[in-house]
Amino acid sequence: MDNTPPASQIGAKPRGASRAEGEIAWNTIRGMMPFAAGIAFAVLLQFFLTGMVGLYYSRIVTDIGIAIVLAVSLNIVNGMTGQFSIGHAGFMTLGGYMAAFITYYGSMCIWGDKEIHGGFLGSGEWLFAVSCIMGGLFAAGAGYVVGLPSLRLRGDYLAIVTLGFGEIIRVLLQQTGKLIDSWAEVKAAVNGAIKEPLKDGVWSELIPPPVGGSIGFDGVPKYTSLFWVYTILTITIVVAYRLKISSIGRAMISVREDEIAAQAMGVNIARQKVLAFVIAAFFAGVAGGLFAHEPGVIVSPKDAGFQRSFDYVIMTVLGGRGSISGVMLSATILTALPEFLRDFEQYRLIVYALLLIVMMLVRPQGLLGIHEIWNLWPLRRGKVPVVAPEAKS
Amino acid sequence: MNDSAGKKEVHVGAALKPLLDVNAIGISFGGLKAVQEFSLQLPTAGLFGLIGPNGAGKTTVFNLLTGVYEPDCGEIHLGSKRLAKRKPHQITAAGIARTFQNIRLFPDLSVLDNVRLAGQLHNRHGLWSTLIRSRGHQREEMLLQEKALDLLQIFDLQDRAHELASNLSYGHQRKLEIVRALATDPKVLLLDEPAAGLNPQEKMTLAQSIRKIRDRFQVAVLLIEHDMPLVMEICERILVLDHGVTICRGTPKEVQNDQSVIAAYLGTGLTDE
Repeated sequence: MDNTPPASQIGAKPRGASRAEGEIAWNTIRGMMPFAAGIAFAVLLQFFLTGMVGLYYSRIVTDIGIAIVLAVSLNIVNGMTGQFSIGHAGFMTLGGYMAAFITYYGSMCIWGDKEIHGGFLGSGEWLFAVSCIMGGLFAAGAGYVVGLPSLRLRGDYLAIVTLGFGEIIRVLLQQTGKLIDSWAEVKAAVNGAIKEPLKDGVWSELIPPPVGGSIGFDGVPKYTSLFWVYTILTITIVVAYRLKISSIGRAMISVREDEIAAQAMGVNIARQKVLAFVIAAFFAGVAGGLFAHEPGVIVSPKDAGFQRSFDYVIMTVLGGRGSISGVMLSATILTALPEFLRDFEQYRLIVYALLLIVMMLVRPQGLLGIHEIWNLWPLRRGKVPVVAPEAKS
Repeated sequence: MNDSAGKKEVHVGAALKPLLDVNAIGISFGGLKAVQEFSLQLPTAGLFGLIGPNGAGKTTVFNLLTGVYEPDCGEIHLGSKRLAKRKPHQITAAGIARTFQNIRLFPDLSVLDNVRLAGQLHNRHGLWSTLIRSRGHQREEMLLQEKALDLLQIFDLQDRAHELASNLSYGHQRKLEIVRALATDPKVLLLDEPAAGLNPQEKMTLAQSIRKIRDRFQVAVLLIEHDMPLVMEICERILVLDHGVTICRGTPKEVQNDQSVIAAYLGTGLTDE
């Protein structure tokens, strides 16, 4: 007792250990439930929604899903760690181009054309799934690089760096080469370049990469469906929520609240900041993959610009920092609203701006503030919540 | 005067190898020598006080010990670990925890989460276990929660566990800061003016709980405080800083009767000229 500090023994005493083990086993099974429910929901949407509401509205539902993935992932950086990133569309577009590159040229390589192959969960869709993950990983790498300056910069300065990142991506993508139309041409170009690597102009078709230049990446097979969007949406939300209620999420939130105190409590703030950027960029990249393969969409360099980034920032600000359900709500509203305001298209931005101003005046903490919608449910108040349910003031 | 005090320190320290050994650290900001030649030997479960007039450099000493500032010179050892030039979170992990003069809780986290955050620094399970909710991760989170609730219970804060930290009363916030620091399993606890703004009643309880903390958790405590009766009552030894220089060290009685300390606080009389 004298040698070991009792402080470390606190909590170590067995308090109904077997009961706890049973609870853990049950929790592990229960941990699969959100995925099962989410995927079931996605399948239902996939097969019944279009028939029920028509193509136009199911497109809006698809857009809402993609917007939620982007806004919820941005909220990991802006809401949880309190860094201010306005380059999220840059990550999205980067991931989108990477994914499109894989399906476009991969499809040509495997099947010799750029059509859709296989039906629901067919071979083409798996190529698409892999390409989205690759897009996410590529964007996550970029997120690591952009996360590094966040160790030294904060507030407005960091915002400018992330804004600059999006613009750099936009300009770089504008400078890319034109698409190559057939696999034979790709082979010819690659072979030519490898045979005589030093000959003038032999690389011109391959460097910069042939992804369409300023007109965008046209002709990508359009694999994105409600199933894939809502499956990825499920994964994003579960990941964001599990992060939020875990030690890692607490560490991220502590960085937002007070960096000096966080350090003094043993939080490695550099690690938390970069981790937040990497995770957020990964999901942005995956969402970019969904976006690039969405029917009727041509992913183009301007998607990386600040206009789109701002849309997602507004969603997180309106939803409430760190509130996953709040951000889902605001992403839904802000994606659906312009569609219903289509008759007043030119006033859309005015409505946006007014909405923001009114919200900042009336409810600066966002729709739900730091709370989740289910924490406001009166029956849950007695339970042990993860974030205090008592409404602030 | 410094020399004789130093000898006494060696005498006390010789009986027991010091837990925290600070050897002649110093820092200057531009031309201002904020702290010079600061030395301290804190034994296990010792309770030392650090006093001095405003601007003497007391909080700077804390910032040096916890890695917020990097000392220009000198060495800091905790047990056998060298701490100078380490990052703040590494120093906390090594076993030095602190509270802040101006309260720095995480206002939008619950009381429980404030404590859990501090308790999690020895967690072993990473991102992947968190996302798939591995058994190890769940067990870790459960233990963390129990540990945090136990600590809150010891300090009578368990009823407030689910309130936001910012909704606590001032006295409770001060208390929570101490609980949070204890949750990191420290060997040395640095308290920066824990009695500031407390009423006499609360100061009494604070004095008792500081002793209780020391005995129960076997931590060494270094206390910055302006409330002299409190310091004189509970501290075993006291160091006095003035303009970054240690002007006196000794037992409360010795410090109270030291001419240089009286001069630092009250000034020298005209008759001395």
